[in-house]
Formats: sequence, C-alpha cells, structure tokens
Amino acid sequence: MDIRKIKKLIEIIEESGIAELEIKEGEEAIHIIRYSAAPAPAVYAPAAVTGNQAPAVVPEEEKIIGHIVKSPMVGTFYRSASPGAKVFTDIGQSVQVGDTLCIIEAMKILNQIEADKSGTITAILVENAEPVEYGQSLFIIE
Amino acid sequence: MVIADKQKKILTLLADGEFHSGSDLARALGVSRSAIWKQLNCLAESGLQHSAVSGKGYRLDKSLELLAQSEIYEVVNEQAKALISSFEIHDQINSTNSYLVECAHRGAPSGFICFAERQTAGKGRRGRQWVSPYGSNIYLSILWRYQQGGPAAISGLSLAVGIAVIRALKQHNINNIGLKWPNDIYSRGKKLGGILVEVSGESDGPCTAVIGLGLNLFLSETESEVIAQAWTDLSKITGQHKLFRNELAGTLLNHLLPVIAGFESVGIKAYLDEWRAYDCLAGRLVTILLADKQLKGTVEGINDTGMLLLKHADGSVQAYASGEVSFNSQSDESAG
Repeated sequence: MDIRKIKKLIEIIEESGIAELEIKEGEEAIHIIRYSAAPAPAVYAPAAVTGNQAPAVVPEEEKIIGHIVKSPMVGTFYRSASPGAKVFTDIGQSVQVGDTLCIIEAMKILNQIEADKSGTITAILVENAEPVEYGQSLFIIE
Repeated sequence: MVIADKQKKILTLLADGEFHSGSDLARALGVSRSAIWKQLNCLAESGLQHSAVSGKGYRLDKSLELLAQSEIYEVVNEQAKALISSFEIHDQINSTNSYLVECAHRGAPSGFICFAERQTAGKGRRGRQWVSPYGSNIYLSILWRYQQGGPAAISGLSLAVGIAVIRALKQHNINNIGLKWPNDIYSRGKKLGGILVEVSGESDGPCTAVIGLGLNLFLSETESEVIAQAWTDLSKITGQHKLFRNELAGTLLNHLLPVIAGFESVGIKAYLDEWRAYDCLAGRLVTILLADKQLKGTVEGINDTGMLLLKHADGSVQAYASGEVSFNSQSDESAG
C-alpha cells in the first residue's frame, strides 16, 4: 500500500476519533489502532495544544513493515538545523542508529531526535515547523 | 579576526585603558614600532579602537578585562568547582555551543565549561546570529550529561537556567531585570541576554545538554547595528562601564552549575514561584508566531510544566510549548 495512503488514513482517524480501523485491498491489509500507551509524564500534562493521542500503525500482512519514530515531547518539529539549511533526512534516504532525524523545540530547548533503528526513511508524517504532541508519529523507517 | 599571539600581548598590555608608548610596546613584544602600529590597525579593523597621541603613545578607547581562569576561580565556590570537569577559555571560536556539541559527540565529560572572548558564528534560536564582539561580553556554554528519562526528564531546564542567571545578576546588585518566556533576560523591555539549550540522546535514556548563555556587558553602536530587536547591556543598565567580567563569570558559574546539575532530581517545580516573580510577559498583549500562524492574546503566565498560557480573544486559554513571542505595540493594544 502506498505510504501516502497510510498517512492519509492516520489523519482521517485522528480527526474522526474512532479507535480502530482495518482495510483490505486485494492481498494487502492495513490495521490501524489509536495509540493508547501509558499517560504522558506529568511534565507534559495534556493541557497542551490538543490533547489528541496520535495513532500508531500496525500493518498486517504488509510487505513493508515500518518502524515508527515518535515524538518524545510536545514541541515544534523542525527538519533542519536552521531555516534554509539542508534537511537532516528525507524520504528514501538511509539512516543509521544515532543519526539526527529532526529537531523538536520546546521552551527553547532544541532536542535532536535520533534514529533508534537503521533503515530507509519511507515517510515523514509531520510538516516542517508544525507543532507536535507527545507520542505523535514523526517518521517511518523500514 | 584571528587574535594572533602578538595581538593578544598588545591587548593585555593596553587593557588598562592607559597610554603606552610605541617603543615600550615594541620592547615588550620584541618587535619593531612599525610592527606594533600594524597590529594595532588590525585590531582597530575588528572593532578594538585606539587613540594615538604623539609623545604619549597608544591607548585603547575602551578598557578591557580579558577572561582569565585564575581570576574566575577566585570567585567560584567549592560546590561549583566540584562540578567542573574541564575549563577552557578561547580567544576566538565559532560558537561555544557548537564546540561543546562537537566535544560531546567525542565523549567529553559532564561539567565541561567553555568561555570565549569572541564568537565568529554566535547563534541564537533557529539560526539567528548572536552578536559576539571581542573582549566585552559573556559567551559561555556548559555541557551536562543526564542519566535517564531522555529529553522529557529535563523539560523546563531552560527556564531554570534563566533563574540562575537572574540570581547571579542580583548578587551584583543588578536590578530591573526579568524573564521573557521561555528564558530571555530582559531589562525595561529590552533584551540583555539569551539562553539556548541543545539536547541530544535517546528518547528514553541518557541525554546530553549543552547550555549556552550570551550576556551583553558592553555593545557599541556599530557592533549592535545588525541586532533586529530592542537590546540593552549591563553598562546601559548600571550607567557605568564597569569592568567585572571575571567576577561575573565566576558568579554565573556558582549559580548555573548547581541548578543544571540538580535539575534531574528537582525538575521545573522547584523554580516555578521564582520564575513567576520575574515574568515580564504576564498580563501583556502579545503575538505568538507558530509555524505560519500568528496568535494574538493576553499572557496568563506559565503553567506548572513551564508552558506559556495564552488567553485568546474568545476567552479560551491554551498552553504553548514553543513559538516566537513578541510584545504588541501600543497601537495594537488600543485596537485590540
């Protein structure tokens, strides 16, 4: 299944508030469950922004099995070190564990988010300079 | 400007702001008088102006106090000293923060301190320039390693660091200072200092923070031309060109190091009351620039996690973790 379709599905689920969705298309199937991990630590009380938990994708019988990099905090997502600078990574690029994928800024702390798995970036799920939530999916690495 | 050894020697001799004859300087450096003249012209081109009076010699237009570890250490207390693992003062560096981020990658230990007399690529948030001329301000970075919990565990550290700077300035009887969320040091509506924290590491494991501070002590009109916002410096606040860089550097370390080292165990909660007492945005009409959106509202202080609370026109209050905050002008206030 096209990764853009998966991204779109995630967005639809986020907006709708439904808990779980399964779609079969020929031999391919996708199963998406809304994220329900342990509550965020108190320092990130959900008074922030929207309070929506981002969904996690659990592909079933997918040829592509992705690893999702999630945001460890509430903040603003940046794909490069400064405006106009080269992006840290892009779709199709391979990354090693420890490579910087993005920066999330929260209260003027610039947090470099590193890849926790080696592979190829197949999806970037957030636009540059957009706010992100705790646990929100940022990248898919395969 | 690369401060060559000879230039550094000349500066050290002229730092007192008194006249020194060309032949005295030439003798001290073991070079010709014309070589002294040439070096002084190089220094003038980089902003260190001097006057030359025949029969008296050369004098710097503005006396200097260059940083020296021995003088800083006279002020640093035992508690802070115990937290320092490495201590470096650079004549010139690209950016003290960038340097310590590199050092951290190479395995530098927690408690690494770096000062610079001048930064060639001093930086603020999102690639902004931090004006960093030679010998007159404080450019300081501290590397600290935190054991667990990832970046979430040190959320709010940037606000606590602002408190440490306020405490240090208060100790030198510098009043009329406040904090503009999240951690700009402000005085009478103008920026005096800035703090930038860069963190890397595992999302749920050990992480490394490089905490950078830029504090204006004296900025000339020429040097400050490129600054796009209202700024101030300590000489303007105190009304005197007081030389106490080493003493202030020491006081800053005394306050910064325990706050940084202890943050993991106490968190932002320990600093909320003090932070709120210095909040210079509370009750003000502001605009927050977030991505391409401009949000207007009245600041209602910070919440218990250190996020900015903004009351919108419809009465709803939202918390923000990031965004560029600007004061609305008087005309906006009357219109709004």
